Amino acid sequence: MWKFMPYIAKGLWRNRTRAALTVSGAAVAMFVFTFVGSVQEGMANLNRGSQTERSLIVFQANRFCPSTSRLPEDYARALAKIPGVEEAVPIKVYMNNCRASLDLVVFHGLPPEKLRKIRDLKLAAGDWSTFEKQRDAAVVGNALAKRRNLSVGQRFSIGEVTITVAGIFTAANAADESFIYTHLEFLQRTRGLNSVGRVTQIEILLAEGTDAAALCRSIDEKFRSKEIQTDTRPKGVFQARAVGDLVELIGFARYLGFACVALVLTLVGTTTLMAVQDRVREHAVLQTLGFSWQRIFGLVMIESLIVSLTGGALGTGLAMAALSWKGLAVGSEGVTIAFSTSPMLAVIGLLATALVGLVAGLLPAWTAARAEIVESLRSI
Amino acid sequence: MALVEIHALTKEYHKGDQKIVPLKDVTLAIDKGDFVSLMGASGSGKSTLLNLIAGIDKPSAGTIHVAGVDITNLSRTQLAHWRASHVGYIFQLYNLIPVLTAYENIEMPLLLLPLARAERQKRVEIAMEAVGLTDRADHYPRQLSGGQEQRVGIARAIVADPVIVVADEPTGDLDAETSEQILQLLQRLNTELGTTLLMVTHDPKSASIARRQLRLEKGVLLEPEPPKVALAAV
Repeated sequence: MWKFMPYIAKGLWRNRTRAALTVSGAAVAMFVFTFVGSVQEGMANLNRGSQTERSLIVFQANRFCPSTSRLPEDYARALAKIPGVEEAVPIKVYMNNCRASLDLVVFHGLPPEKLRKIRDLKLAAGDWSTFEKQRDAAVVGNALAKRRNLSVGQRFSIGEVTITVAGIFTAANAADESFIYTHLEFLQRTRGLNSVGRVTQIEILLAEGTDAAALCRSIDEKFRSKEIQTDTRPKGVFQARAVGDLVELIGFARYLGFACVALVLTLVGTTTLMAVQDRVREHAVLQTLGFSWQRIFGLVMIESLIVSLTGGALGTGLAMAALSWKGLAVGSEGVTIAFSTSPMLAVIGLLATALVGLVAGLLPAWTAARAEIVESLRSI
Repeated sequence: MALVEIHALTKEYHKGDQKIVPLKDVTLAIDKGDFVSLMGASGSGKSTLLNLIAGIDKPSAGTIHVAGVDITNLSRTQLAHWRASHVGYIFQLYNLIPVLTAYENIEMPLLLLPLARAERQKRVEIAMEAVGLTDRADHYPRQLSGGQEQRVGIARAIVADPVIVVADEPTGDLDAETSEQILQLLQRLNTELGTTLLMVTHDPKSASIARRQLRLEKGVLLEPEPPKVALAAV
């Protein structure tokens, strides 16, 4: 078939405006498809990883938004003594928006020496010692730094909180890259937050072999008679509840992805069919020269595949570039879902467009291949 | 043995309730190296006969042997492969691929044959020289005159060295002077290269350049030739 590539390419160039419009349409559809795929991948990644499996979140009972949960900080010391608890880290959460948002900025204030024990972070810029020594220092997730154009040494404010960027980190879990980690005491003492001695949640790192569900029950039981009761859940469950509304929305977005694929199918199918209808006589001439119906079928299929794949590659590539460049995340109640990109997502996008190109080409290719030669030669 | 042997060839089809018989019980033989013209009024069945010999249409009854092969028994795919190496077709309206240059148009049939690029190039150059178009290789059909387009069409028909070249009203769309040049070219191909030619025309002057002139009327060959197979048997 390589011998016929100049003919195929020139055939596409002949109707370049139509082909370009179809490619653009397919690119836009695949751009959206990749965005939808990336948020779904981010959703799947949210609860993946050993730290999520080995962690519990202790929250104030009957509270949902982090700004309403105010646990006594000394609960952490009590929790650390419970068998099966390897580490109990008090965390003060502060954020710019408690509701669903595409630009959620979440501060986690925690004892600086404990950060690296409970999070798998790598500094891409800056250094840990500055972070640990300087009271208002913070390390910022790479995605958030990209989104807000932050760099090391810069001062950054949200509401009453102003931090100095001591480092920018990448994380094994992409969702972590939308957080800012700073000192617990600094956040507690920030004017307006007034929460000395209070934390939003306590994150518990479980010892190997600990029964998480049983421990959740025993923790809540322990604080039942106290002034502030707790609601303890495995971290994955806690996150899933926090982004519950978003999960539904993201689940629905899957249909948007399917609609995008269907749109590409319709666009490429229509364009290829129109191209075939324009060339009824030409295909008959080729058959007269000795082109078999299978070869005509193949030529039309390749044409359809090229249009579809070009649009798909363009849309998927642009979406991947935009996602990597902007580091987008969607979040709710202090939990973020990163728009994750991976080579697999690109491969799925390209495979989807290849498949769509083949399916879209079937009817036009069959029409061209099986047309009666003599009758087609008479067509205008 | 004749190159083309046609026996009791009939073509019929239905249009609504009406049965149409464009070709009825035609028997004909064409020798290798012959130049045959086929005349007749519009609707006489001459193009139908040409298309059947070229293997782009199927008869309702009868047989067509070309170089010993009964092409009426070939499948659609087999016929396509057979056409690629055995038949050259010259169209009235040239039917060049508009997006391809003259060179690429002529090369098209060769892409179907197991030939190396260098061999293809050599054959295209020979064909272009034969029709006197070597200086138009990079021209697109829209950049050529009608006569030049038809020359490209002729070069495309002969480039694969087919056993027979069929021409359907090859001068039907050309002015008198250009028609004359094209007819002379066809005659030269026949006399100098030994190409077997079957030309359909409604113009007696054009038909007269052929060595044999046949006439079809309402699907019947008026001067049917004695079947050569039968003669050989006698």
